[in-house]
Amino acid sequence: MYEELFKHGYAKRDTGTSLVFTLIDELRDSASTGDLGRVVEKYKQLVEKIMRDRPASYGAINALRLIGEYLLSKGLEGFMEYLDSLRRKYDRDCWEAARVAANRIVDGDVLITISNSLCVRRVFKLLVDQGRKFEVYVMESRPGMEGLDTASYLNDLGVKSYLIVDSAARFFMKNVKKAVIGAEAIAVNGAIVGKVGTSLLSLIANEARVRVFVVAPLYKFSLETIHGELVKLPEGDWRLLMSPDVRKSLPNEYRARAPLYDVAPANYIDGIATEYGLFAPQAIPVIIKQVYGSFPPRIRSLDEIGKLLEEKIGGGA
Amino acid sequence: MVRFHEKILEIAEGIRTMRIRGAGKIARSAAEALKIAAETYSGEPDPELFRKYMNEAAKLILATRPTAVSLPNAVYYVMYALESNLGFKELREAVIARAEEFIRNSLEAVRKIGEIGARRIKQDSVVLTHCHSTAAATVIITAYKMGKIRKVYSTETRPFYQGRITARHLIEAGVPVVQVPDSSVRYIMHEVDQVVVGADTIASNGALVNKVGTSQVTLAAHEARVRVFVAAETYKFSPMTVIGELVPIEYRDPTEIVPKEWIDKHPNVTVLNPAFDVTPPEYIDAIITEEGVIPPQAAILILMEKFGWALEKIKQGVKQSVSFEDSIEG
Repeated sequence: MYEELFKHGYAKRDTGTSLVFTLIDELRDSASTGDLGRVVEKYKQLVEKIMRDRPASYGAINALRLIGEYLLSKGLEGFMEYLDSLRRKYDRDCWEAARVAANRIVDGDVLITISNSLCVRRVFKLLVDQGRKFEVYVMESRPGMEGLDTASYLNDLGVKSYLIVDSAARFFMKNVKKAVIGAEAIAVNGAIVGKVGTSLLSLIANEARVRVFVVAPLYKFSLETIHGELVKLPEGDWRLLMSPDVRKSLPNEYRARAPLYDVAPANYIDGIATEYGLFAPQAIPVIIKQVYGSFPPRIRSLDEIGKLLEEKIGGGA
Repeated sequence: MVRFHEKILEIAEGIRTMRIRGAGKIARSAAEALKIAAETYSGEPDPELFRKYMNEAAKLILATRPTAVSLPNAVYYVMYALESNLGFKELREAVIARAEEFIRNSLEAVRKIGEIGARRIKQDSVVLTHCHSTAAATVIITAYKMGKIRKVYSTETRPFYQGRITARHLIEAGVPVVQVPDSSVRYIMHEVDQVVVGADTIASNGALVNKVGTSQVTLAAHEARVRVFVAAETYKFSPMTVIGELVPIEYRDPTEIVPKEWIDKHPNVTVLNPAFDVTPPEYIDAIITEEGVIPPQAAILILMEKFGWALEKIKQGVKQSVSFEDSIEG
């Protein structure tokens, strides 16, 4: 539609949560065949795809873990219903986290946000439904420029917003009251993995004493980081920053790195809004213990689950 | 209405549309335009008429970019020649000579800044730069030729992608350069040893006005304890800030960020496109001028040394043949 935007590398992409919904839909399709082998095959493909394209997307990784465990213990029995209930749970948790965050916004607040997050959108939606008045600065969020999609969403909600380049965040921070952002993953020490620029935004907010709230249901928590795993941060190249035509106009030797995520340290985050309430990022082990019954929770890695599933299929056939 | 030579109008238009960009180039083009104006003056050989004509030319040039301080500084430098009590012919020659002197000094300043700045670059450094600055690029290239630079990160610099000009500039000099989006400067900062940026304007308290994003690059550097150097010719220092004038920040056309059709479809979205931001002096380790390295807080020294003659007049409020006020309106 906006030809010119493709020159800037604008691209539609799934948010961390909508990615989970897409995953569930794809598994649902393959499960309708009633063939466990095919479902496991599909499952493995999805795991591979996520680990390749979105290795920091813990909404998807945690969903795949739960689904894998279900397949291990029950196979396809009640699988469809399980997928539906999982979808409903993710959807509900995202709304609940948004509701908690919305409670922190008061009439007349000026917010700033980056990228495009489903749960952050829901914060805006709830505020509009409650009749609260607010304005939003939206960073364009290169690479990908999905900030434009957030601005479009706010436009349709009838909320006044200001679209700015990523470089202008500090310039406008003096006008802002609160930063509201989404997350791709949350590490056990409270560090937030978000779209690249998130850590810069939270640094700038802190410098200006602007509070930073992260809307992240518990499914975004990276349980692997408890065992010292690092969240993998993928990078792209010039293809995420411009069209092939624009690339042709640049010298052959031109090189670009396009990081997709960065990590905001816990001390720049004032609160994480989850479906269980608003927490200090450093309190994460407490909620994890509450929810899983122990700390560290007993979980299996996707690799382990994949291997067990293979044995199960192999043994069953 | 005075009619000017088309080359002058072309330069004015070039500065306005950012075909001519970068504070140094703008300043030299302004001096060049005034030189052409003097050369192509075709009115009566009367010093007063010539002064008036030059005044009009100066106004035309000053109106092109409201914020680039190098522009009024260059114009003021050249127009100072008109203060002398000379006959028409000598006056015209004086203007031309002063314009040429400004251009020569400006180019020489970049070379000197390159030499001085390169000494501040550590061995085997990874340097990050924002936007495109001839002075900053010259520091980097000079240091690279001394074998000091391993790699350069250059930010894209939205909305206009001046970083691509930097990339091209450095590639032509053989410097290994990697472009990164502006959003990733904090992510990349842990690999960076030193930051070198140019300047649009330096205020009397040492604050730096430069391409939007500079202040957050320096904030990220400060957080990571990475040193920040600003490469700035002395004509980037703003005499008007000494008497408390603010440096106005220019907002440019929103279509530089998103196409008009996008803007039209989103009536509740205001696209804001400030061209510059302000970096506080505490995030700057040193300003490298052609006169030497100074801490930003000593900016007033440069202003007194270089613009002492102008400062006196500004303080006295004497209306000059070309006043600074003309240039900072709007």
